[in-house]
Amino acid sequence: MLSRVANNLIWLDRYMERGNSIVSLLKVNFYANQDSPELFPWAPIIKNYTDFDNPFTTEDAIECIDYMVFNPNHSNSILNIVTRARENARSVQEHISRELWLCINNYFLFLTDKTLSKKINDEDPVAFLEKLKSFHLTYLGTMDTTQERGASYNFMNVGKFLERVIQISDFTALKLVKIATTSDSLEQSFYWKNLLLSIGGYQLYLKKHKSTFNENHVITMVFKDKLFPRSVLYCIDKLNKHIQMLIEIQELEKNNLDFLIGKLESTIKYTTIESINEQGLENFIKDIKEDIKSISLSINTVYFSYSS
Amino acid sequence: MTNETLFSSYSLLPDTWDEMYASKTKIRQQYDLISSFLKNTSPEVLYKKEELSKQLFMSQGVTFTVYNDNEGIEKIFPFDIIPRIITSNEWQKIDKGIKQRLKALNLFIKDIYHEQFILKDGIISSELIYACPNYLREMVGVNVPYDIYVHIAGVDLIRNNDGEFYVLEDNLRTPSGVSYMLENREISKRIFPGVLPKNGIRSVSNYPNILYKKLSELSDQNNPNVVLLTPGIYNSAYYEHSTLARLMGIELVEGSDLVVKDHFVYMKTTNGLKRVDVIYRRVDDAFLDPLEFNASSTLGIAGVMASYRKGNVNIVNAPGTGVADDKAIYVHVPDMIKYYLNEDPILKNIETYQLAIPEDYDYVSKNIEKMVIKKTDGSGGYGMLMGHEASQKEIEDYLKTVRENPSNFIAQPILRLSTAPCSIDGVLSPRCVDLRPFALSGKDGIDITPGGLTRVALKKGSLVVNSSQGGGSKDTWVIQ
Repeated sequence: MLSRVANNLIWLDRYMERGNSIVSLLKVNFYANQDSPELFPWAPIIKNYTDFDNPFTTEDAIECIDYMVFNPNHSNSILNIVTRARENARSVQEHISRELWLCINNYFLFLTDKTLSKKINDEDPVAFLEKLKSFHLTYLGTMDTTQERGASYNFMNVGKFLERVIQISDFTALKLVKIATTSDSLEQSFYWKNLLLSIGGYQLYLKKHKSTFNENHVITMVFKDKLFPRSVLYCIDKLNKHIQMLIEIQELEKNNLDFLIGKLESTIKYTTIESINEQGLENFIKDIKEDIKSISLSINTVYFSYSS
Repeated sequence: MTNETLFSSYSLLPDTWDEMYASKTKIRQQYDLISSFLKNTSPEVLYKKEELSKQLFMSQGVTFTVYNDNEGIEKIFPFDIIPRIITSNEWQKIDKGIKQRLKALNLFIKDIYHEQFILKDGIISSELIYACPNYLREMVGVNVPYDIYVHIAGVDLIRNNDGEFYVLEDNLRTPSGVSYMLENREISKRIFPGVLPKNGIRSVSNYPNILYKKLSELSDQNNPNVVLLTPGIYNSAYYEHSTLARLMGIELVEGSDLVVKDHFVYMKTTNGLKRVDVIYRRVDDAFLDPLEFNASSTLGIAGVMASYRKGNVNIVNAPGTGVADDKAIYVHVPDMIKYYLNEDPILKNIETYQLAIPEDYDYVSKNIEKMVIKKTDGSGGYGMLMGHEASQKEIEDYLKTVRENPSNFIAQPILRLSTAPCSIDGVLSPRCVDLRPFALSGKDGIDITPGGLTRVALKKGSLVVNSSQGGGSKDTWVIQ
């Protein structure tokens, strides 16, 4: 496969996954913010997805959603993310299924419809965010049912799981900042619950632990659960599988990629909750993000190794 | 419910051939089936079908992007649902005529870059060739596989008021529009269910297969690696590049994906360099190789021309074919047919005046309201002067530029392009059309897909069919 194509496939899925996470986050925060705006402000979300010198901020829910979805100058607005995802898809149309292309092109056309941005003001913002979410779910389903399991599929999944680990780490780090500001355990439990909702694990948590919030249970689920599709361990495991596939079909060089991903997987698997607490969760997250960065750079060398 | 309003106000243009109406009341036989289908379709249903066609183009991404205030707007190439129908006899003549023409043009290009018999015999003047900006000295003496230079041509034809087809332009470089020919047909199948087979309309869907066959046959390798070179996603024809690559199952590459090493061309893949044998390029000559042509080009591949001259890679169409579709050379195509084939041209040229010839210049300037003046190296409908709609000042300014370098300009009488019915605001109105059939040349001869792209000037009274200037397209049906 052309190196450029591999690169574009990875980024196609990175963008789609990022969009997916942002839409979920906005919806969850919308609900929480209506309950207690002081605990769940909008500013940290805007800050996390914009450049350090971005002057814009707001505590108005509709204004924030509008900014996060439509602002053309905000590089992580859903509009820009989907536009870039579509450009990537467009440049690799022969490598993705026809259905997947139609799916992402329709999402793009939906977002660029001039009458749309008025709708979030006039209509229910949750219904609007759910509509966006449904495009992401359709995308994931379409990819799963129509994309042949060759190099393209594996590269796309590498992008998807890389981005998902980054998003989970970011969400958690965002909450940790808030948690550190209070010693009230009830308030802390709100934050943990909110984290689970944002990454979509609340339902599973209730099933496992009922409605009792225990910090260690939450951390274990978010980072170490084998069966929860949005846990860090699950994503790393998937990432590893797709990278192994690519190495097997000789689309990726082993280099130290093999080593890096294996090391990260073991670290997460075998670090006990006690030792996470001992080193501090924020440090644990920091290390994960460092490792993800090295893996991503190591994959990148594939594209550059043949550019003369 | 019948739809009489649709046909109610069709007023034929004076002194113009109409594709559907033989006279005010008589519909040509080839349009019988479609016109009765339309008469039995209510305006609402027809409107829905039009909307459906727009939707299909949009959602499939059959679009080009227009950039405005940093905002990309997706546009579709307007599609008129009423097909343009060509009879079997008419097609036979077109088919023969284009084949004859391409045969002669190919021989001409080979001759020009080798012995130059046609110049030595005084049929065409050397000045004309050497002054042509598309003549490439880099191609002199280069032998190309099977002596084929023009593998893909999109000859533009128009039908004059005498009912005959004339050649307007030969388009021997990288003609576009074939994806619309394919896409329009797919949409017709849905809009007019059952009408195509009942009419015995010839299929166009084989085009990508024939193209792939011709491309791969150029290489002497087993299982050659054929790629399509595109300038990238911001090119207005990107959709076409991507579609053709997908339909042929070949890799779509950009200049930066390719590299030349030891006079071989390779593409950069995730598991190393892979040799490229045939490049179907949709990049103009000038941008093909920064080492030989435009040095600032990032769309091409450094060293590809050297590799090509060594025979290590094939480039389609061959560089330098532009010399034969220059408007100043166009005048001489009938002479070429006579000279190389000893035949009379089957398809006629449009009467053309060369402004470098004083008598021609005099005639044109005296009859300017009946003339269109074109730059010899222009395309896309730009840089033309339409005598009947220009102001006195525009004419004077234009003629001043002409006098500075008269050999860069030609003039042709303003033509009566034939009209075909278009569905506009719920009624049929006549609009001017041309026809671009697509011809593929390979080692086993020339194949022309029955049909092609019919372009329409959607603006009332306009003669300009170019997509960049408000043109649209129609499906073209050729009857078996």
